[in-house]
Amino acid sequence: MTKNTTFKRPQTGQSASLELTHALTQTVYREARMLDDENYVGWVKMLADDLLYHMPGIETRYRRDKTDQVNDLTRMAYYNDNLEEIKKRLSRLETGTAWSEDPATRYTHIITNVEVEMTEKEGEYQVFSNFYAYRNRNEREEDSLIGNRVDIWREAGAAFQLVKRRIILKHNVLLSKNLNIFL
Amino acid sequence: MRIERIGREPEFSQYMDLKEGWLDRRIFSDAEIYEEELYRIFARSWLFVAHESQLPKAGDFLTTHMGEDAVIVARQPDGSIKVFLNSCPHRGNKVCFADAGNTRRFVCNYHGWAFDTGGELKGMHEEYCYDEIDIDRKKNGLKQVARVAGYKGLVFATFAEDGPSLDAWLGDFRWYLDMLLDNEEGGTELIGGCIKSVINANWKFGVENFIGDAYHAGWTHDSGCRSMNNGEPFPPVDMENSYHASVNGHGWEFGTEGVGDLFLLGRPKVMEYYERIRPKMAQRLGEMRSQIFGSVASASIFPNVSFLPGISTFRQWQPKGPMEFELKTWVIVNKAMPDDIKDEITKGVMQTFGPGGTFEMDDGENWSNCTTVNRGVVTRHERLHYRCGISRQIEHDTLPGIVYRGQYNDANQRGFYQRWLDMMEADKLDAMPERPEPRLTGVSETRDVPGLFAL
Ligand code: FES
Ligand SMILES: [Fe+2]
Repeated sequence: MTKNTTFKRPQTGQSASLELTHALTQTVYREARMLDDENYVGWVKMLADDLLYHMPGIETRYRRDKTDQVNDLTRMAYYNDNLEEIKKRLSRLETGTAWSEDPATRYTHIITNVEVEMTEKEGEYQVFSNFYAYRNRNEREEDSLIGNRVDIWREAGAAFQLVKRRIILKHNVLLSKNLNIFL
Repeated sequence: MRIERIGREPEFSQYMDLKEGWLDRRIFSDAEIYEEELYRIFARSWLFVAHESQLPKAGDFLTTHMGEDAVIVARQPDGSIKVFLNSCPHRGNKVCFADAGNTRRFVCNYHGWAFDTGGELKGMHEEYCYDEIDIDRKKNGLKQVARVAGYKGLVFATFAEDGPSLDAWLGDFRWYLDMLLDNEEGGTELIGGCIKSVINANWKFGVENFIGDAYHAGWTHDSGCRSMNNGEPFPPVDMENSYHASVNGHGWEFGTEGVGDLFLLGRPKVMEYYERIRPKMAQRLGEMRSQIFGSVASASIFPNVSFLPGISTFRQWQPKGPMEFELKTWVIVNKAMPDDIKDEITKGVMQTFGPGGTFEMDDGENWSNCTTVNRGVVTRHERLHYRCGISRQIEHDTLPGIVYRGQYNDANQRGFYQRWLDMMEADKLDAMPERPEPRLTGVSETRDVPGLFAL
């Protein structure tokens, strides 16, 4: 099978210690809580200056098709952002005129299947996880976004910062009118 | 192709009075009117199906929809492009499930009928079961659309055997289209990939928004504008030097300041790039068009394609029932651009007009609620107001089309619904009126039309 069949994730490396695994698992849970609470000030503090936040658009292709839809950063994507670009998106919420954010959307991020591995770089860890993000707004609008993430987190003092995240949403057609959410 | 339906008298004029400036909301929600649209508009219009750059090699294909009809668009060994139904003539199974790719054959999953990239039946699984008199392979290919044609990279197809040529269909709108498709040597291409989303809204709300609704931008997108421009709101609109231009239901609304949409993209490098090529653009397209390019502007091609020249989002509103459409979006760039400019534009488009874009996020909610509120039986019989700028029509020496002064206007929207009405009521496409009488009749190379772009 070619890599396009499952959007194969990077090679599995050496598992991190129980202590590190616990610390990073708690970190991604904390991050999810911040996103649920729209605590974007807190969230941005968890992001590294050299962040790459990437969520490619995934076309439906036959298995034999070798087009690299995941690693090719020149293709269309929902997100292909550095930290400044994330901040620009967030600044829309601070204007007070983002009408479609008022009333607020109700968010829940469920993060599961967390695995933590060592990387070649001292102090940087690869974290695999799955997400189920649920949105509900106004009377009965709702949607579910489900997929995988592969992150690189870096030790920053007593905490960790997100250096790189690749999000694979399992939609072909985004089954929602917008993406006013980070995953 | 015969598309008339039995037992229905078209009386669509009851749903609007465009001289007065109102529409009946039922055209945005009624299931029967929607069905008629599929027959009368989508099965008879020239519809965008691909950009040539998506199919560079023989065997390259993509799948899309013409109305709700699924089609395959494929590059042939001789370089031409064919468009045929994505449905097997045996039992009707869908034949191709990929969005795009390259192939030598389309093989149906059900009984293994195999078609070449031109849609012709080339073989069947266990062929011996068919006696010679059972099947004529020539007649059992994938059904071809009636006509395929291109304009400067854009590929269109129609199910209508007769009716206007693509050049006549686009008419004088080609003068405007060249600002998007021909502003630099080499023409345009689409960036790889297509982002699709679902919006619970009537397809016409997307089209009419891009065809003329500059008005919503300053309010709906105040937050988007400020986020991309260091807290600055939209600059005031110059009602004297901005316009609506409508040609046979297509429309382009625009200022002439030259920079507004480029600002909104929030990419200084891209701005610099266009400033660098603007003198050449002026030589190519004339002063007027080189000034219009980059201004706050938006446009739609009848019936369901829209784009923002300068911001470079290119999109199609695919109907999926009266209260739902699928929005397909691409990024359109000039082939001649260096890679880093293409990347900047791609990122800029995704930041502004992707589903998570600072502009796009606020649109879907509006269109969706404009549509679904019409579930109420009293509500749906209420009229909507389309009278803005009703007396501001002008004659302009340079600008073709039905031209109105002032970017805040409902003029192009009225032009769009006029064409909608013309098509819904016309039994024969040839009988549809030209709105307005074309200036460019018989001219296919609009870029080089003498006299038109002299300012
Ligand atoms: S339905 Fe396609 S081969 Fe039978
Ligand atoms: Fe908008």
